[in-house]
Amino acid sequence: MMHCTMDQLLAERDGEGSPWARQHVAECAECRAELQALHQRGAGLRALPGRRPSRDRWPAVRGVLAAERRARSRRTVTRWMGLAAAATLAGLVATRAFGPAVTPVYAADLALAKEASATLEEQLAAWDGPGRVMSGREAAIAAELEDRIAVIDGALPEVTHEARLLELWQQRVELMQQLYTVRVTRAAYVAF
Amino acid sequence: MTLSLAVPDILVARAKAGDEEALEALFRAFEAPVYNLARRMLRNSEDAEDVLQETFLEVVRSIRGYRGDGALWGWVRRIAASKALMRIRREQIRTTEELLEESTGRAGPPLGLTLDLERAFESLSDTSRAVVWLHDVEGYTHEEIAEMMGKTASFSKSQLSRAHVRLRRLLGPSGEGRST
Repeated sequence: MMHCTMDQLLAERDGEGSPWARQHVAECAECRAELQALHQRGAGLRALPGRRPSRDRWPAVRGVLAAERRARSRRTVTRWMGLAAAATLAGLVATRAFGPAVTPVYAADLALAKEASATLEEQLAAWDGPGRVMSGREAAIAAELEDRIAVIDGALPEVTHEARLLELWQQRVELMQQLYTVRVTRAAYVAF
Repeated sequence: MTLSLAVPDILVARAKAGDEEALEALFRAFEAPVYNLARRMLRNSEDAEDVLQETFLEVVRSIRGYRGDGALWGWVRRIAASKALMRIRREQIRTTEELLEESTGRAGPPLGLTLDLERAFESLSDTSRAVVWLHDVEGYTHEEIAEMMGKTASFSKSQLSRAHVRLRRLLGPSGEGRST
């Protein structure tokens, strides 16, 4: 006698069984017992004791949020400073009058990166607003990108080496572009 | 774990406005169920605590966009499940589950030895355990699980089926295992 497979029993348990499986289970004591065991297993899992975290994670959550708020303020200031710096650097490159503190080739690229970063930030700010909801998955990706941007923002004021500075700004632009893609092109309302 | 975690609308409104006390109240309301979900899906408590933290960071960042047309717990739970699944995926990039099972002996004791349900469940691979918990306990459909995992519904069904075959072998013919 052919018995139900686990797939068929699970479908039967979930109310999606085929007519053949339903009839077979009704007639076969072995498969009925298997189905009963499946129900019991599910009930057993649902009855497992709830687990609780051993540490309070709220202080850590609050700390990260405070750091993010600080980083956002810093980014706003940096954006304006970046535009000003870009104009200054561009001027320096054009006139070559003052013995550049930053090599021209880096200065031009740096100005470009800062401008791109500021533009993307403005576009994102225009897009974000109340009512925008991403799926959990996309929100997680966005959060990770924001974390990485915050880390770069934290490092920027400390960097003096021009090549490293340029590298960081270019990384920031790349991350901003990824964030823009996630936020703008993949954002979707989530229904429950 | 089936939960009905009703949260007053006024608390949600205050949280949306950025009121830190309200945000903490939401954290306290959902802390245990989020951790429990993550802990059942993940292998260790440290990872589960990280998911708890990541989930609430996401809740705070996104709550202004919560439309309030479903239970808040459903929204929070979905974020937590996605975070836990993302952690499983990251782990899988580092190593394959099969290799891990062989190297750590996580596959559990020899088949035939009856285990209690909790230990048998924990001996499942990360993906199988996540699917079993999300489907059999949290009540997600295979389609919903597939969407969260970036896989197909058939993948979810196949993982569930394999997991139950394994649980049946570990738990013995009664299907319930020993009570502990």
